[in-house]
Amino acid sequence: MEYRVGAGTFRALNDVSFELPTHRVVGIVGETGCGKSTLGHAIPRLLPQPPAIVRSGKVVFRGVDLLRLPKWQMPSIRGTGIGMIFQEPINSLNPAFRVGDQVAEAVHIRRMRERGLDPTFRRDVQGTDYSRREMPRAGDVVSAPFVPPALVDRAKARSPPVSKELHEEVLSFLRLVRINDPERIVSLFPHELSGGMRQRIMIAMALSGKPGLLIADEPTSALDVTIQAQVLTLMKELMEEVQTSILFISHDLGVIAEMADEVGVMYAGHLIEFGPVAEIFESPRHPYTKALLRSIPNRYKSEGPLPSLAGSVPNLSRMPAGCAFHPRCPIARDVCRHDPEPPFVAAPAGPDGAVHRSACYFPEEVASLP
Amino acid sequence: MASATASAARAAAAGSVEEEPSGSGVRSSVVLFYRILRANILTLVGFVLVVVVSVTALLVVVVPPITHLILGHSLSILPYPPLDTNAFPYYQAPSLAHPFGTDQNGADVFSNVVAALPTDLGIGFFVAGVSLVLGGLLGLVAGFWDTPGTLSGAASVTIMRLTDIFLSFPTLVLALAITATLGRGEIESEIAILATWWPFYVRLTRGEVLSIKTQPYVIAARAAGVPESRILFRHVVRNLLEPLAVYFTMDVGTVIVTYSTISYIGVGVPASIPEWGNLMYGYQDLLLTAPWTVWSVTGAIFVTVLGFSLLGDGLRDILDPRSRRIVASPGRQSSKLEPSS
Repeated sequence: MEYRVGAGTFRALNDVSFELPTHRVVGIVGETGCGKSTLGHAIPRLLPQPPAIVRSGKVVFRGVDLLRLPKWQMPSIRGTGIGMIFQEPINSLNPAFRVGDQVAEAVHIRRMRERGLDPTFRRDVQGTDYSRREMPRAGDVVSAPFVPPALVDRAKARSPPVSKELHEEVLSFLRLVRINDPERIVSLFPHELSGGMRQRIMIAMALSGKPGLLIADEPTSALDVTIQAQVLTLMKELMEEVQTSILFISHDLGVIAEMADEVGVMYAGHLIEFGPVAEIFESPRHPYTKALLRSIPNRYKSEGPLPSLAGSVPNLSRMPAGCAFHPRCPIARDVCRHDPEPPFVAAPAGPDGAVHRSACYFPEEVASLP
Repeated sequence: MASATASAARAAAAGSVEEEPSGSGVRSSVVLFYRILRANILTLVGFVLVVVVSVTALLVVVVPPITHLILGHSLSILPYPPLDTNAFPYYQAPSLAHPFGTDQNGADVFSNVVAALPTDLGIGFFVAGVSLVLGGLLGLVAGFWDTPGTLSGAASVTIMRLTDIFLSFPTLVLALAITATLGRGEIESEIAILATWWPFYVRLTRGEVLSIKTQPYVIAARAAGVPESRILFRHVVRNLLEPLAVYFTMDVGTVIVTYSTISYIGVGVPASIPEWGNLMYGYQDLLLTAPWTVWSVTGAIFVTVLGFSLLGDGLRDILDPRSRRIVASPGRQSSKLEPSS
């Protein structure tokens, strides 16, 4: 994944490779500018191209490499296949429409696909049997034949989403995200709602597509702390109710610890560590992860100045040779400065067999760091 | 976008005002419209001026043929035939019989000014309207499909460079040059103004499209699986309507001023057609001897242009759902609290 800007090219994502098991929550953490959001947007191919260019790599979703899919088929993956919640709830709703209509749009799209009325929709890619009411589960990958556009009732597919049934479903999704009085809320415009309410609407919209994978790109960063807690609680409850895989992107380690089953740590476009959440927090195997953990403020007492990491994230156009982290690394040696980027190796498997991988030459020494 | 405090004030105002005009459909929109007009006195003035001017223009055009059909002979709402020479004593000051006096040819100035209204208003709407459609479409294409390296990207670049070329000439000079080439006449001069007018709409539309299409709500819609065609119409075009409608309304007045200038210089409509620029040309020597002639024509232009400007300004409030409810809420007499973005 690269950005081409002017004459220069920035490699925004490099060697980011991980698996997202069904119905698990994978968290991605990292500093601002490390490529978290780029990753989240790159999966459903939402980055504007150009300037973004995909050099190589794969995004395999239900057995299909999304990066090789023709562009016109991408909309049929989005919404019902991969849903997304964004960082800015303030601007993520169209100011010109009532929120009910916006949720209805998402519900309408899914219903058209359920009925085979969306000509671009490929059931074999989506792999979901939408005739069932519940969320997609691991087992129900069905390969229904691709519906040729000519057979689709185009007039029906374009009919405006206004039916009573649809309205009821919109209300049910608003109730799902704990909105009181949804009958009144649907007729309001986005500017009449608070940030937390808008984020709830966004979550309802994302869920109403019944996606197999939900990408939450810092869903709480733009909210203030109490609202943040509400939204996080809501999301945690929804994870139990709605069976779906979630990629949870955040810069907040506490949030990640709360939400995720597995964690990936990113630095300067690289995935530097990946493993089960407990392992990452207890025995990090990369000095950067260690430094991140050290800089979490203690909630109960002040311990003087917070330890912070000297230096800053390298400029993507002038990446250091060798390991991207070596200029700030306390345990860097010659091999880190000159050798190509350290391989992403797995630690010896723990007792539960979970794989904990990190991109450091000296993972054992990390434990001895302060 | 509005600042944090402004949006907080807005949220507070919106929170306290949940009462929507009761009733549904047409009735509630009429009530809403009335409240918006009442809330801002300038919008009301603009609205009234535009309605009066438009209705008068319509009556001037429509009444003679209809009365001819019904009564067998034409009646006009004009008190006297326009541009009628030697009908009255020359240089009469305004009186009850001649509210705007008479001119050097002994014609009633009021009749002349009102007779010119449909021509000028028609030209205003025609030129601004065609520019809106043509420039709007080109701007939409240039803004929405501007990916470099593709066929549509090349089209986009072509449109914008063409626009730049037209915009690099001074408007009036280019219009005059074209009319001088095409010859004097109503159609010719309208084409001349049109040629200089559409590029502004291309630029405006393209700029708006470029900013709208990177808005988070467009990305969010795309992420929800909304197809591109629907994004274009439902999200981009819908949010374009407001700035374009505001600009268009104000622009009708600007076209009238420019067109009057062209015909004042003497390359617009033939002198036999009553038109404000033509009248002005005829009256220019009377500024000191019979000032009412000049003032009448100037006043007509002023009132018309002012009406469209005020209405255009108020349209912003009417079309934007963010300010609509606040402005139209009962108990609010002004829209001052609403930050205009």
